[in-house]
Formats: sequence, C-alpha cells, structure tokens
Amino acid sequence: MTVLPLRRHRPSTPARLLGGDRLVTAALAVLAVPAVAAVCAPLIAPYAPDAVDLSATLSGAGAEHLLGADQSGRDVLSRLIHGARTGLLGPLLVVVVSTVAGTLLGVAAAWLGGAFDALLSRAMDLVFSFPALLLAILLVAVSGPGLTAPVLAMSVAYAPYVGRLARSAALQEKTRPYIQAYRVQGWSGWAICLWHLVPNIAPLVLAQSVTNFGYALMDLAALSFLGFGVQPPTADWGAMVNEGAAALLQGAMLPALAPGAAIVITVVAFGIVGEALADRVARRER
Amino acid sequence: MRTSRFAAATASLALAAAACGGPHPAGPDGSVPFEITGDMPPAKGPVDAVTWSLYAEPQSLDYAYAFDYPPNTVLANVCEQLMRITPDMRLEPGLAVAVASPDPRRWVYTIRSGVRFHDGSTLTADDVVASLRRHMDPEVGSYWVSVFQNVTSIEKTGPLEVTVRLKKPDQLFNEQMGTSAGTVASAASLAERGYGTPDAGVDCTGPYAFDGWQKGQSITLRKFDGYWDRALAPKAGTIRHVFIQDPAARVNALLAGEVDGGYLLPSSGFARLRAATTGRLYFGPNTTAVNLIPTDLKGTLGDLRVRRALSMALDRPGIIKAAAAGVGTPSKAPAAIGAWGIAPEAAKGYYDRLPPLGQDLAAARKLVQEAGAAGRKIVMATSTLSPEIGVIANAVQSAGQAIGLRVELKAVAPDAYSALFADAKAREGLDLVMTTWYDSTPDPLEFYGVLQTGNFANYGGYTNPAYDALVDEANAQADPAARAATVARLQEIAVRELVWIPLYEVPHSVFVNNRITGAPTGIAQLVYPWAAALGSAG
Repeated sequence: MTVLPLRRHRPSTPARLLGGDRLVTAALAVLAVPAVAAVCAPLIAPYAPDAVDLSATLSGAGAEHLLGADQSGRDVLSRLIHGARTGLLGPLLVVVVSTVAGTLLGVAAAWLGGAFDALLSRAMDLVFSFPALLLAILLVAVSGPGLTAPVLAMSVAYAPYVGRLARSAALQEKTRPYIQAYRVQGWSGWAICLWHLVPNIAPLVLAQSVTNFGYALMDLAALSFLGFGVQPPTADWGAMVNEGAAALLQGAMLPALAPGAAIVITVVAFGIVGEALADRVARRER
Repeated sequence: MRTSRFAAATASLALAAAACGGPHPAGPDGSVPFEITGDMPPAKGPVDAVTWSLYAEPQSLDYAYAFDYPPNTVLANVCEQLMRITPDMRLEPGLAVAVASPDPRRWVYTIRSGVRFHDGSTLTADDVVASLRRHMDPEVGSYWVSVFQNVTSIEKTGPLEVTVRLKKPDQLFNEQMGTSAGTVASAASLAERGYGTPDAGVDCTGPYAFDGWQKGQSITLRKFDGYWDRALAPKAGTIRHVFIQDPAARVNALLAGEVDGGYLLPSSGFARLRAATTGRLYFGPNTTAVNLIPTDLKGTLGDLRVRRALSMALDRPGIIKAAAAGVGTPSKAPAAIGAWGIAPEAAKGYYDRLPPLGQDLAAARKLVQEAGAAGRKIVMATSTLSPEIGVIANAVQSAGQAIGLRVELKAVAPDAYSALFADAKAREGLDLVMTTWYDSTPDPLEFYGVLQTGNFANYGGYTNPAYDALVDEANAQADPAARAATVARLQEIAVRELVWIPLYEVPHSVFVNNRITGAPTGIAQLVYPWAAALGSAG
C-alpha cells in the first residue's frame, strides 16, 4: 500500500518566508511608517490636514512646519501623514478585490478546464489589452471623480494579473498526487480547492499581490494627480503633487516633492517585499 | 527594480536639498511691490517673425464665440470692430468713422470707406449688417447675444450707413461695439461653412490676416499690407501663437527665448520672470477683479448678515499673498477700479467713499450668531483648474469655520468649472463660487448691469427694483460723467448688499524678451490690435 501525504507541507507565513534578508527587513520597516501614520494620523500629525495659515504660504522647512507649508499655508507633513490613509486604503481595496476575484477565476479556470477555461482566459486577455488608467478615466467620466471609480477600475484591471498566475499555479497543483488522493476519497472539487489547493498556491499569489499593491498605489496616485481620483481638499499624495506642482516655479519644492518621495519610497518598498516573497516561494518550489 | 531604488534615493536627496526652498517674501498687506506700466518702449524697427505664447488653444476663431483670453488675443489683430477701445481704455471710432444717436433708441453708424478685407474685397454696410445680425441668430448661439437684448432691428440705411434700433435707451450697446459684439467680418466668408474653424479661418480687416492653424500647436498670422490704418501698420512679418498649457513650461519657454512673449502669465512665475535678464515682465492696467459669487441667495448666504460675516472673516492680504504671489490689491467693490474708463478720476472718489473690507473675526462671529446661522452649511466649489481656485476655497473654508459656519468644499472637475457660469443646473447645490471677472469696455455699467434682475450673469438671482431702475437710468444717460455718477450709486448698493463678495484686483501681465517691444501692457489687448506696434527693440 502506498501512503500519500494529505498535505505537501504547512502553508508558509510572510514572516517565515522573508526572514533573514536585511533589505527586506528594511523595506518592511519603511512600510511600517505609512501604515502607522495612516492608523494614528490624528494623534501624530502636528496640525489638522486642512488647517489653513495664509501667513505661512509656501514657507520652507522650519520648526513650525517640518516639511514646510503648501500654497494655502497647510502643513505639508500633516497632509502627508493624513494622505497615507487614502494612499494605502485605495491600493489595499484594489489588492483585496483583485486577489479574491483573480484567485477565484484562475482556480476555477484551472479546475474546470475546457471551454470554461478558454472563455475565462480570453476574457482576462481582453481586460489585459485595455489600459487600466483609461478604464479608470472612463469610469470616472460616468460616475464622477472620487476614490470609488478608480478603485473599481483598478480592481478589474489587476484581477487578470492574479488570475493568470493563480490559473498557472493551480494547473500545476492539480496534477499533484495529494489532489488525486482527495478525489479518490470522494472530496468535492469545491472543498479540495478551498481547503487544500488555494492555501498551497497562496504564497505565490500573495507575492504577486504585494507587488500589485505598489503598482496600484502608483496608479491611484497618478489618477489623483490628474484630477480623476481623490479630490481636494482631502489630503492625498497624488493630489498633493498636483497642488504642489504650481509652487515649483516659486522655488517651493517640498509641497510636491514630499508626497512624490512618499509615493516612490512606498512603491519601491512594496516592490522589494513582493520580489523577496516571490523569490522565496520559487526557491521553496525548487 | 534597480531603477526604482535609484529613483527613491534621488528623490530623498532632492527632498533634503529642497528643505530650505521657499517663495519670495511679501509685505504685511500680502502684496509685493509692483508698478503699473501703461506702455512698453516703442519698437525701433520691423522684425521678420514673432512667436507668442497662449495658455490654451482657442476652441474657435469665430468672433461670436470669442469670450475668453486666448481667442481674443488672436482675433484682436485679425478682426476689427465698429468702435475701437484703446490701450488707455478710451472708446474711439474704429470701422465706423462716425456714430450718432439721433434719438435715445437709435444708433447710426457711418462706415469707414476704402477699408479692405484680407481677401481684397471692400467693406460695405452689408458686411456690417450681416456681422451684427449674426449675434441675434439662435442657430449661431453667440456668446455676445445679451449685448443685443434691447435691439429691435439692424438695417442698412445707406451705402455706408447702418442703423440699429432699440427697445429702450442703451448707451452700453455702443460701447460694446468696441468688443467682439461689434466685430465685422466679410459677409461672404460668414456664409461659408466652418467660419472660424482651423480649416476655414476668418476674413476680416485687421493688420494681420489668418495664415494657418496647426491643430494642437499654433495659429499663424501674416502681415496684411492693405491695412487701412497707417498709424498701426504692422511691423512684424508673421505672428505665430503657440499653445503652452503648463504654467512652468510656459515660463521656461519665455525665459529660454523659445517664445518672444505672452500675455496673462501665471502668478507663480512672476518672481522668475521679474528676475529675468533675457526680457522684461510688465504689469498693465486691468479691469479684472477676483470675487466670490453667492450663487444661492435663498440659502444660507441669502441672509445679508451671513454674507457680511463671511466677508469680514476673510484674510484678503493673505489670500493675495497665497493665490496671486502678492501681485494684487485688496478690493472694496466687485468691479475693478480699472473698469471705470469713462470717468477714471471720479471713480477714485466713488471708490474712496466705500467702506473698507477689513478682517474682524469677533464681529463676524457675532453677526453669524445674530443671524442664527451658527453651524449652518455653505457649499463652495473648488477645482484643480488653477491654483488660485483651490487656495481661495481653502481660505474661505478656514474663514467660515472660524466664525461658526460649516463650509464644505465641493470638487468640480476642471472642464466643468466653466460650466458653473453658463449652466444654472451646474450650480445646483452650490452656495459660493470664485470668479475672475474682467470687463471688456471702459464702462463700469457693463459689470453692474449684470446684477439686474433676470440678467444671465446674475448667478445668485439678486433682485432689487430700485437697483433695476438705476441700471436703466444709467443706460439712458449719454453723458459719461452723469452715467458714472449713477453707476456709483449702483456700486454702493452692490457693496452694501454684498451681492458679490470682493476679494482683490490684479494687474494685467505681459512678458517680452529683449528682442522685441512696443505692445500695450493692459487688458485692452483683448480688443486692440496689440501686435501691430510690436517690433524690434534694437
């Protein structure tokens, strides 16, 4: 009699996957800053994000305003801290929705196969061929500016990235002996996928989603910069770059540069973490 | 990934380096010193070609739709009007060599003889009739239709004579004949399809003729050798208007010499343009004032005490410093003092009589309490269309909150902001919008007339029978001094009732590089052939 393992191994946690790499640890530490800022914004911001002090308009960095003030005399640091909320909330929603939808579609396509697989795959190709930003702009034109339409559009646009990866991983996983064992034991396809297949491909999908988080942050910031996303006077990094751009001519760099740097640093940090996750998963697979 | 990390490091370094950055300081009243210059030094000779920057591409060169800076800046050199508004804001004969008003309900224009269109044909009374009547054609949908609201007929009454009959006396009509409302184009060109479009262009009588329109890039004009007014014989061979929307790109193009000049420059670029050694920034006379318009006088702002309180809470010097880079002066009336071209000296006296609009938060809070408006909501439009809109909206929100009002900002898409002034539905749900308003004529009645009951631009629906009667009285007064005195009474009512809330006045701006000179510096450039005098500086 052949004994088949019921599970190949225990699911890996991000901490286990990432342990030991200094660069990744540094990236995680960097990401903790906007995360803490987003959660504790009212407690740690020196001023309210919309507190106007016209006498401080475009003042440089100093004791009163550590990162200076914007054209309306609002404290740039306070807006940066509060901007972390929309800056992180939007991509988080995009990643959650696109990960759930993409995994569902990818695993369903791999599991069911045949015409269903072909149909879903072509549908994902179709969404791939449509630029995400254009889709968001079209939705904004219909529903008006704000965070909802861009998040919805980005979720639709990012779902195929996750879906294609999930399908590919699920196809491989489907051929493993433990899956056959569950089938022989009479488990339903739904139960096998939910309790065994998906947990086993989750680290790979998670790595992709972490990378997607950074890209989504950049796309949503770009939409806010263009005036399609979060609207003024709400503090948002992309909108802050837009509002601060006019001040560059007046020699005031910080109102645009500070949120710009926040976007770049956060995106890069997410990229590092996502890549590290993907590398570790690949090594483990080997 | 390597590139991204490098970008992050570079951004961090730049962030640190910029920590000491900041704008140029403003005085305690919010303004930085600036001087109004009426004229540039005259040109010393001709130039082959001039490149001129516009902040946007005109949607059309049809004079019926010329109601904004970019199309008017181009058309001022191509098309002419029956009357001419000079750089010092006086009204003088243009294509009409004489104008008479035999009775208060009739204007008779004698057309200048020997004037030729750019296609070589001769100007006739038929061209004038066709051009003016076009504004009244609903199918055309002219932006200047309100000028013709009192007109009953426009007839040719002689080979070179046109008579306009009115329902009631309308002095302002004749002044408006110096604006796009009085533009004359050849009747033959108007009958063609696509008049004013990039393909068809326009056919008028100005010192420059339409030469070409490269969509999205430039409009080129060429010197018209058959121009009738020898005093304004053009000195430049061609004028190429290039469209540069981004303020920073426009300022840099001026500083680098890629373009020779431009009007209406972004205030954020004033400091750099003033410091330039490659050219000079001029500030000229203006009729422009920045105001807040209460757009719903049945809402929270319907109570005069609340409007007064909000006005008293505003930090005007701070707003000027933040929104206009300090180049402006706090205003006491909704129409700029520069808009009183018919009586400039008397206007100063009228203006001095107005109460100052200083900041008094304690009194403002008290007024809000008296009005029972504490905690009541005011919705103001904000937009990323231009930095001033956002800055002023933020300042109003801050001021309102400081006196117990709840000011909510409603973001309006940049493309939709203009619709607030054209479509009542677009203003639904709004209590307050910010506007930059300029008058085209030297007559302040042009502004105060819009607050008459039922006027298209009476956005708040202000109604006051006494005010309406005064508008009609002023419009019937042929003597400019007497009319100005009546308009001064209108001004007092408008200020007392804060129909619009005045913020500040700004000068007109123009930059030219060291190669050229001679253009007028004031806002009359929108209707006066400004490029005709433009020539070599050395």
